[in-house]
Amino acid sequence: MNNFWITVAHTMTKRVRSKSFFWSSLVTLILVIGLMNAAGVLSSFSGEEDREQQNVAVLDNTSEEESMGEALASYEESSFAYENYSGTEEEALASAEEEEYAFVLTLAGEPAELDAVLYGSESDFQDGQEINQDVQRIKEGFVTNELNLDEQQLATIYAPVSFSEQPLTEGAEVQTEEAHNQAYWMVYALVFAIYLLVIMFGSMIATEVATEKSSRVMELIVSSVNPITQMFGKLVGIGIVGLLNVAVLAAAAFIGDAISGDNILEGLFSEAIEVSLLLYALLFIVLGYFLYGGIAAMLGALVSRAEEVNQAIQPLIYVAMIAFFIAIFGLNAPDATIIHILSYIPFFTPQLLFLRIGMTSVPTWEIILIIVILTISAVLINMLAARVYKGGVLMYGKFSIKNGMKQAFTISKKEK
Amino acid sequence: MTLVIDNVTKRFGSHQAVDGVSLTVEKGSMFGMLGANGAGKTTTFRMILGLLDPTSGSVTWDGRPLSYKRTSLIGYLPEERGLYPKLTVKEQIIYLMRLKGMKKTSIVPALQEWLETFQVPEYENKKIEELSKGNQQKIQFIAAVLHKPELLILDEPFSGLDPVNTDMLKQAVEHIQKQGTTIVFSSHQMKNVEEMCEDLIMLKRGSAVLQGNLRDIKRSYGVKNITVQADYNLNFLQEVSGVLDLQQNKDGAVLRVKDETIAEPVFQRIAEKGFVRKFEVEQPSLHDIFIDKAGVEHDE
Repeated sequence: MNNFWITVAHTMTKRVRSKSFFWSSLVTLILVIGLMNAAGVLSSFSGEEDREQQNVAVLDNTSEEESMGEALASYEESSFAYENYSGTEEEALASAEEEEYAFVLTLAGEPAELDAVLYGSESDFQDGQEINQDVQRIKEGFVTNELNLDEQQLATIYAPVSFSEQPLTEGAEVQTEEAHNQAYWMVYALVFAIYLLVIMFGSMIATEVATEKSSRVMELIVSSVNPITQMFGKLVGIGIVGLLNVAVLAAAAFIGDAISGDNILEGLFSEAIEVSLLLYALLFIVLGYFLYGGIAAMLGALVSRAEEVNQAIQPLIYVAMIAFFIAIFGLNAPDATIIHILSYIPFFTPQLLFLRIGMTSVPTWEIILIIVILTISAVLINMLAARVYKGGVLMYGKFSIKNGMKQAFTISKKEK
Repeated sequence: MTLVIDNVTKRFGSHQAVDGVSLTVEKGSMFGMLGANGAGKTTTFRMILGLLDPTSGSVTWDGRPLSYKRTSLIGYLPEERGLYPKLTVKEQIIYLMRLKGMKKTSIVPALQEWLETFQVPEYENKKIEELSKGNQQKIQFIAAVLHKPELLILDEPFSGLDPVNTDMLKQAVEHIQKQGTTIVFSSHQMKNVEEMCEDLIMLKRGSAVLQGNLRDIKRSYGVKNITVQADYNLNFLQEVSGVLDLQQNKDGAVLRVKDETIAEPVFQRIAEKGFVRKFEVEQPSLHDIFIDKAGVEHDE
């Protein structure tokens, strides 16, 4: 056990102290903090933060006694400054061209059939929408007035319907559109994270093993430590480095949040992110890491030179990629039978079961069953990997997965 | 505390790497393992270390098989040298020795002492990749002995070293032996084995072709050498029955004869011919025995 931790510590310090780790962490840190403050940084350049209220010249040509233009001008909730213009349309347009006004709005006809035209050069379509809403609001006021409705009657009309959804079976959940969207993006992000972490750390492990082999230090090491202890020491060591990476990312997010002062994180955690989903993601990342990592270590032990690592772990990366693409497809059809079936296959479980938990409601017994299957296969695959690893580290020559594994088995054969 | 290898066999599939080898190495002795490339030396070492499981037979140290629980008793210098190129001498020695169960505080002073012995104290904080091959080998040797193992296995310890460093390493090995360490080492260089080992085994394609005490082996080995120095052509001596071969050199010739009794007719033929400056019957060198028994040229 002692040698296990010495190996873990050695693997970690070697990684953490490397220049590449330092720089990649620093870049992540700066990138995340920068992105989180991007809005603030951009607005400080364009100066949009405190832009002045745009003014709108209103030409009221309606036949009402009470001017709608006046009503608009005194409408304070709007983000525009309306002004009841008393001149002609030509004069108004001319002064707008001289930038005295941002927009010119003409109103004609009865309030019930109001005809409004907006002249403006600004390209932002939202301005038009907002002005339209303001006019609509004033029009509603005028019309209800004409119909002699009192406040209470108005309130009755606008009172919202009490609308709720109930599941067909007891205990099941009904997903609202909002929840669906939140889950969609969160699952998307985490499926991608699982994919990325598995590939990144899988190849890190394989490279680590192959480097020790190609520098021939391996034989010396395995004369002191059981290769199996060493393999798991490496897996755990690199796993911890991975967690450290995530911690740097989290730290960056918090620092970025503090600097920007937007409380994005608080918002995310209270609304968009379900903590239980995050915990599932963590569980699947860990299990997926051990499943893929064990195989990566085995493949790393089969090559003789560090340059052959990429070739060796290609099949593993393909499997991870296939799982990822199935998961992306599954995001739009999480109830599909194929997703259901594939989520039982250990190599696809981390991404697909996570997808199902996030997007649909999966019975608890099924979650437990699939996780047990995944855990058992991770253990079995690691036992197999350890056997191949034990023989593989003593083996040098041309790389071939099939022959290599056969040879490794012969070498590590337990006699008696 | 003896190393006992009892009728050990190792088969890789259809390939017989080691075949029925038995040997005993007494505590504190120096044991030589000879053999051409592929004779099974490294496989035997790996079985002693527990890296490989013997197909049959057993390897025991002090009556018990060596396992990972007892690796701190063994020091190993592999034939293929290798250390972490990016780590400094100190860093890797600390890591490797901690794996052997040593405390960091006792590793550093011992390392400094060894670097002093090898006259390279300035390498303590240098990266391995900055050192020359020969100096890397010194560090590799330190990694095998720093933890004061009971059993030291040296696979080709002197290959690739210049004469000065070879002597330095030889003295270090002898010093360690004097302290009671049992040493097994393999070498292509017969001269080193001849100088250092009391007992040896010679392997050929996995089995022992020669085994025992060095002096006994030489004595019982029938073939002798006769060195003759004369100023005339000695080729006529080939006609004497019992002469296996004759090699002319600038001073005369060296003859290999079947046994010591052949020396007499050879001497008579020379006496008929004329004056010789030297006539000597010698014990065969290990080199000759090796070539004879192993049947192939070795690289020296």
